[in-house]
Amino acid sequence: MKESKAILNSLRPQSDVQVQQTKAFIKELEQKCQTYWDMVEVGDELSRELHITPELVILYADGVEDFNPWYEAWRMNSWRIPGDSPFGGAIVPPLLVSHFVLSVQFDHTRPFAIGSIHTYHDSEILAPIPVGATVRITTRAVDKYEKRGRRYVRHDAEVVDTEDGTVYFRETRDILSL
Amino acid sequence: MNERSASDFPSMRITADTPIGYELQPVKKRAVIQLMGSRLWGRFNPNHWDPDYAASTGLDAPIQTGEMSSAYIAEMCVNHFGADLFRNARVVCKYVASTLANEVITTHGVVREKTAEGDGFRFRVEVWCDNEAGEKKTVGWVEASVGA
Repeated sequence: MKESKAILNSLRPQSDVQVQQTKAFIKELEQKCQTYWDMVEVGDELSRELHITPELVILYADGVEDFNPWYEAWRMNSWRIPGDSPFGGAIVPPLLVSHFVLSVQFDHTRPFAIGSIHTYHDSEILAPIPVGATVRITTRAVDKYEKRGRRYVRHDAEVVDTEDGTVYFRETRDILSL
Repeated sequence: MNERSASDFPSMRITADTPIGYELQPVKKRAVIQLMGSRLWGRFNPNHWDPDYAASTGLDAPIQTGEMSSAYIAEMCVNHFGADLFRNARVVCKYVASTLANEVITTHGVVREKTAEGDGFRFRVEVWCDNEAGEKKTVGWVEASVGA
């Protein structure tokens, strides 16, 4: 449902200095970025470790207003706590690691390609991830294709515990590239 | 043990007795522009939070990252599958239309298949998100095993 420009701007009120800061930030993003289509060759494999801290989980869950206590290993006043879930301590929301694949599948030392859109994911949730785990996310570019005049990049991803090798998560995902 | 999903709302939990056609209880969220543009979610792309930039790229408004609607669907499914959504489960989502800032998004789910597996069942649930006008934004399906 389309909102008017005035309504949209009222959703994010800004003073003049904030407007200037926003423009400067966007200009910097635009100057640095390159399209994902150009950054990726089929067969490219990238891998990074992610320490899933209690605070990271809270940031993720609060952004989608998911207040399930199973995810809480950080609580105001107590701060870090073991948490409580059917698996013992606090666990990671089922699709959290999917959100971080984007930071692995493209060269993270380069800026994000603004304007690209995530269009599809097929995610296998194999085992619960304890909050506090360190995981290795590995991605492999498996296809680049065009469909109805649009360019897509397809990756496979796998998430593994760095300590005991537990495979937590697998995914196939598409990004619509500029 | 914290069993919020199972004990606080026992009528929602999908069990071996849940029939095909069972409708999951929705969750409802507003696409709040400040959350869409938070550092963890969408700050890296002004299409997710800046109306002027979004307009310059042809969008009617800033758009949510699709993964936010996937998270909404996952929340609905955790409410119904509990711990069973965290082992041997599958979530497939296709983002068929953009979720615009300030829209109210509702999740939906309907059990479409139920297949015997071990001592339990494998459920397949059709899932989708739509806005106040009923326009679909995300479509897909979720599978989880109960009592297997």
